[in-house]
Amino acid sequence: MRILLIEDDQVIADFIQKGMKEAGFAIDHIADGLIGLHAALTQDYDVGILDLMLPGLDGLSILDRLRQEKKNLPIIILSAKRTVDDRIAGLRHGGDDYLVKPFSFSELLARVESLLRRAQHVVEPTSLSFHDLTLDLLARTAVRSGRRLDLQPKEFALLEYLVRNAGHVVSKTMIMERVWDYNFDPGTNVVEARISKLREKVDKDFESSLIHTVRGLGYVLKRQHD
Amino acid sequence: MSSKGNMIKLPNTLSFRLTFCYALTFLVCLVSALLALYVYLDTIFNSRMDDDLKEDIAEFRELLDDGGLERIIDEINREMNSSDQSEVFFRLLDSQGTVVFSSDVSEWEGLEDHTAKILPKATASLIPVLETVEFPDREYPVRIVLGKMAPDLVLQIGETLEKKEEIMELLFKVFAGMVFLGIPLASGVGWVIARKAVSGIEEVSRAAKDIEQGDLERQVTVKAREEEIQTLMNTFNAMAARIRGLIREMREMTDNIAHDLRSPLARIRAMSEGALSEPDSTKGYRIAAAETLKECDRLIHLINTTLDMAEVDAGVTNGMKESINLSQLIADLCELFEPVAEEKHIMLKVNLEQNCQIVGTKHHLQRMVANLLDNAMKYTPPEGQVSIELIRSTHEFRLTITDTGVGIPRSDQHRVFDRFFRCEHSRSQEGCGLGLSFARSVARAHGGDITVTSESSQGSTFTSTFPIISSAA
Repeated sequence: MRILLIEDDQVIADFIQKGMKEAGFAIDHIADGLIGLHAALTQDYDVGILDLMLPGLDGLSILDRLRQEKKNLPIIILSAKRTVDDRIAGLRHGGDDYLVKPFSFSELLARVESLLRRAQHVVEPTSLSFHDLTLDLLARTAVRSGRRLDLQPKEFALLEYLVRNAGHVVSKTMIMERVWDYNFDPGTNVVEARISKLREKVDKDFESSLIHTVRGLGYVLKRQHD
Repeated sequence: MSSKGNMIKLPNTLSFRLTFCYALTFLVCLVSALLALYVYLDTIFNSRMDDDLKEDIAEFRELLDDGGLERIIDEINREMNSSDQSEVFFRLLDSQGTVVFSSDVSEWEGLEDHTAKILPKATASLIPVLETVEFPDREYPVRIVLGKMAPDLVLQIGETLEKKEEIMELLFKVFAGMVFLGIPLASGVGWVIARKAVSGIEEVSRAAKDIEQGDLERQVTVKAREEEIQTLMNTFNAMAARIRGLIREMREMTDNIAHDLRSPLARIRAMSEGALSEPDSTKGYRIAAAETLKECDRLIHLINTTLDMAEVDAGVTNGMKESINLSQLIADLCELFEPVAEEKHIMLKVNLEQNCQIVGTKHHLQRMVANLLDNAMKYTPPEGQVSIELIRSTHEFRLTITDTGVGIPRSDQHRVFDRFFRCEHSRSQEGCGLGLSFARSVARAHGGDITVTSESSQGSTFTSTFPIISSAA
């Protein structure tokens, strides 16, 4: 999997490059809009991460040119512009997703993976499993070590989201957005309370814990000593 | 020489234009009136002269019938004795134009040419033929009539138009004088009227200039008699007052934002400095990094909320409004907060009327209700109670969220919806002091409002209203 990153802020670019390499992607970074467009047109990438304000050629113009050339490269726009109009403009010009700076790396990663899945037409599985935990997506039931977990619908959705992103940290914001469809932080400790209830059901009666808190970042589903 | 412009540049001021238009209108009216009068008088004089001449012809016919040719000649001689031979003449002609009798026509040179032209017409019928003729050596034109007396006798009478023309000339001079006097008079009156109309505008203009130069307290104090100008002045004063209010508000907000930015920044700075001064400690660094991240998120949240609120207030998202089941939206949020309540042993009493539909922006409404619920949870001590009620009245939906928390001091109640306002006891809590003002912005953007009643240490009730917009509309 090869990612093209067009971004003129060196600190942000380094941060993304480091994270993506750790996540197992090959990534090329270009700081200039025109050179970036040329690379996108001439080479094969699986996904593009594009800043809007760039030297050489701005992001929206790059998108226009790409879509004119019928290049189907999936693009995530990464921008500090966050008004509704900016987002709409970004998507209208052919962006596939829009992420506002500042952002958390885990969110960018989740979005890149989601775009790749979409691009590759991955068939939705009917069940998910991680370690000794298995989710039946059709019956909406969860089983751990052969024991059925008594989960409420929202708890199941939360666990499903954690399993889908197993091994990756998901932030509170991402959970709110993907599980509850609220694109704001509803306050104090809504997510903490949910997670702690989920832990009681998923981890409490078992030898090893699967749901872990990553201080300052969010939560991750992993085996105890991974 | 060549630099001299070939066009006169008129002053482009309202006063000048008003004056010019006024004077022009006045003059056009005056000239038309005088012209009409002049033409009317001229016509009257002409027709009176014609009537006289026709009457003469008729009289002479009668004389011919009574006393024959001699009687007419006597009469002509009598007439000529009492008048000037340069002003009038009489001639008797036969149908070939041969002169039968004539008064002295020595001063009427060119008469024969004219007579020869119209004689055939005059002999053809009994109706007298009238014509105005210019003689080359006479100053004024002459009115000449040819009237048939007998089958072979035509009477020709000519009379100068000198008197009438003199009167008309005099009239023309008088009228022209009136017009010339009218120009400065009309301009003067127009100028006075225009100045009066414009003086109010100029006062407003001066005030605007003063404000532009920084005197924000400037008001227009002069009273205008004209309603439009007074309206302009009042509107201007209201606008200036609004600008003053906005600037004051903005100044306060900037101060508050600066304060709220400074606190997390101070914490970030302190933590980083602390981490650096520590001997190598991975754990210490990790904690510092995590705390920094948290403070950054708080800053981002603060900035985003401020911007979102500006968007709500400006109505930017009005175009994204959709039909929303308010009951369902509130129920979902209550469900979201249930574990929080459970953890804190707060009893959550939910009583919602079903299917309350409004038109609005979904994520703004969600956030508004979440803010209210979050506040209720934060300020209610363990074992307390939070009740959420949605009822439908005839013209509005009423959402009340009542807690048994610390309450809000009476002196603070009217300020809790102000941006960045935080009560004394809320300073210790997390938050940016924008939750309630965001809620108010959203409620108002949906045509409703939000109010609070509270008793210190008894609890608070926040009441939000949303007008019901009939589905027919």
